[in-house]
Amino acid sequence: MEGNLLHTAEVVHWAALAFMGVVYTIRLIWLLKFKAGGDKQLPGDQGRTDLGPAMYSMANVVMPWAMESTRKGMFFYLTFALFHLGVTVGIFLAIFSSLLPTFFADQNVAYAIMAILGLAGLVGFGRILRRLVRPVMRLISTPDDYFSVTILTVWMFIGVACQAHLAGLVNNTNYLIAYLFATSFFLVYVPFSKISHYLYYPFIRYYIGKTLGHRGSVLPQKG
Amino acid sequence: MTKKDVSWKVQKMMELLPPKLSRQVVLSLVSCVHCGMCNEACHYVKSIPDDPKMTPSYKADQLRKIFKANHDWTGRVAPKWVGAKTPITEEDLEELKDIAFGTCTNCRRCTYNCPMGVDTATVNRVMRGLLTRVGVMPEGVWAVSKDSWEIGNQMGVLMEDYQETLEWISEELVDELGDEKAAIPIDKKNANIVYTVNPREVKYDPRTITNAAMIFYAAGEDWTMPSFGWDQTNFGLFSGDDVMGGNIYKHLEEKFKELSGNLLVISECGHGYRSTRCEGPNWSATPQDFRMESSVTTMLRYIKEGKIKVDKTKNTEKVTFHDSCNNARSCGLYEEPRELLELVTTDFQEMYPNRQENYCCTGGGGAMSMAEYTPRRLKSGKIKAEQLAATGAKIVVTSCHNCVDGLGDLIKHYKLDMEVKQLVDLVAEALVMEKPAEVPEEKPAEAATLAGYKILVVDDEPDMRTFLSTVFEDNGASVIEAADGEQALTLAKSEKPSLVTLDLSMPGKDGGEVYASIRQDPQLAKLPVCIVTGRPELRKLIYDRDVPRPEGYLDKPVSEKDILVNARKILDLSE
Ligand code: SF4
Ligand code: SF4
Repeated sequence: MEGNLLHTAEVVHWAALAFMGVVYTIRLIWLLKFKAGGDKQLPGDQGRTDLGPAMYSMANVVMPWAMESTRKGMFFYLTFALFHLGVTVGIFLAIFSSLLPTFFADQNVAYAIMAILGLAGLVGFGRILRRLVRPVMRLISTPDDYFSVTILTVWMFIGVACQAHLAGLVNNTNYLIAYLFATSFFLVYVPFSKISHYLYYPFIRYYIGKTLGHRGSVLPQKG
Repeated sequence: MTKKDVSWKVQKMMELLPPKLSRQVVLSLVSCVHCGMCNEACHYVKSIPDDPKMTPSYKADQLRKIFKANHDWTGRVAPKWVGAKTPITEEDLEELKDIAFGTCTNCRRCTYNCPMGVDTATVNRVMRGLLTRVGVMPEGVWAVSKDSWEIGNQMGVLMEDYQETLEWISEELVDELGDEKAAIPIDKKNANIVYTVNPREVKYDPRTITNAAMIFYAAGEDWTMPSFGWDQTNFGLFSGDDVMGGNIYKHLEEKFKELSGNLLVISECGHGYRSTRCEGPNWSATPQDFRMESSVTTMLRYIKEGKIKVDKTKNTEKVTFHDSCNNARSCGLYEEPRELLELVTTDFQEMYPNRQENYCCTGGGGAMSMAEYTPRRLKSGKIKAEQLAATGAKIVVTSCHNCVDGLGDLIKHYKLDMEVKQLVDLVAEALVMEKPAEVPEEKPAEAATLAGYKILVVDDEPDMRTFLSTVFEDNGASVIEAADGEQALTLAKSEKPSLVTLDLSMPGKDGGEVYASIRQDPQLAKLPVCIVTGRPELRKLIYDRDVPRPEGYLDKPVSEKDILVNARKILDLSE
């Protein structure tokens, strides 16, 4: 019975991944249908027309010193990094749990993954509270904003249990099954939610970097 | 809800929206994750922290809701879930007007603080443009737009008033300088420079035109002012009306071409510079095919090229510099005004934060013309007032007329002990008018005397070293060369040169490190340095360091005349 359910969960999970891929492709085609604005003016005196400013802009995510908001909010930035690391590790776990069983059975790997997912889950929990408590966050949050961070947080905690099972720390296949179903739901929901922001990141960063770089205003300045 | 229940203005707005949806705008609309990181970036939030509606993402969400409801499947399928909503009544539009015009100056500070790169200022401008096109806008925006369309400039200055003003400025200049050539040439064909101004200068502050004219005269410039198409400002930037923006830009372009000028110079005005230099060609869909620059760049070049002489001891009061949002964040004019200030004042103090992180003066985005929002505007300036006061400066310098007014208001409101000036004022005050100027001839003789000086040329390009060494040696100097930073520092200590020319981009120790080592070494700290670089963006290697500025700065390719004049000037000053 458990074996059948696990098999179903795995099939559903791969199907969900394929579904996400299809919806993302449609989404990108939709996005690219909007015509990109171009610069008709000559480059600014300090402007650049090479790819440098766009690349610099795209690297923003790993340069917390580049923005006042991250410089002054270093703790927030670190928790952001941890949360996104948790998402990456969680997806890795979901995709490779059936392909690399010995890897996930290793105790050291298991503890590292559990620590990352557990801490990322705690960050997620903190983000939910922040959204609920701060008036500014309440004002700008949509139901999707609450729901997205909640499902990710729950998913990460299930991931901790799933990894514990894979490493033999607990013996309950239901954790793996639950994790695969949760991942499937998450994958199907993502393209319709704000979680798909990572799909847009390279595009939006490329354009803002290119535009402001052409004018010479994007590169780092003395603060 | 039937279509009949929806205001016709809303319906019209929905029709006008699609052409405004460039890929960049759409990306800004779909990418916000509502993380709130831009919150603290906005001067409205900083100064009015109790009102959550001041947060940038809330302002951009107004258009985001409309976009999602009408153009994004997520909003069509589950509008409430993703916050999609279309306004319905004219009251809804009034509310949108108050947000778009009354709580945002489009300063772009939040854009630079959004991890996703969401351009809230642009989104807000799109919203303004939609509202303006259906007649929903503050009265002041309406009045200024009307003047721009009907009279051709945003303050409704009639052609005869403009010409009269220029005439009496000319008369005064001719009297003061005792030279007929000091008069302002109007509509002169084939002039090197066509100078365009802000109508505020004509109407309220002609002193800035007088000062600019004096500087052109002192430089022996071949210049002119146009009789029409002289307004370099453009309310299309503030109202969001690209059609008007493009039309106004065209006035300038057409007149400039009619006069067959060589270079369009834009007087100190942030939104004028941005509209003309950075946005006009896009609004009017005409590729820019002629040169233009800010008058700040022109004045700086005059000093560097030795076309005008200045005495910085004429400006000894402590000054600070306010970056106009449009000049800096939106057009990259960061270092030129600072270099100029260093040359014409003795006590320059940066305000913090500065450059792309500076706070808006509160007068941006056309806010000075929207009287109904003045109390909120003044309140939003608290953070700016604190920033100004912390400098201890007596003069705040800015290169923008809106900033002059915005800062002036804040100084009065917060009772600060300072005044606002523009760079053109300070340059004019520092001007050394030795004799009535002629169009400058090549004056190699003046620069030729470098005899007795030892100059260290530091550059990793052998051709450049040879060029500079030959120029200096031909003019009497003895020259030593270094191909990298380490060698440069060793030679600087052992040879004790009178001047160093320093390249910035070099393998190993770059020019910035070498420069910092020179300034931090007590033996070398006073050694004059002239940066000669082909990569202006590397200025940060110098400016990011907490060391005094270099004595000179030249961009490659550098002419023989420029390098000689600059070397001579630096050596004179260092003595
Ligand atoms: S605009 Fe950027 S910083 Fe502001 S809430 Fe949206 S994603 Fe976050
Ligand atoms: S553009 Fe400036 S004024 Fe407008 S929301 Fe952003 S920071 Fe605030």
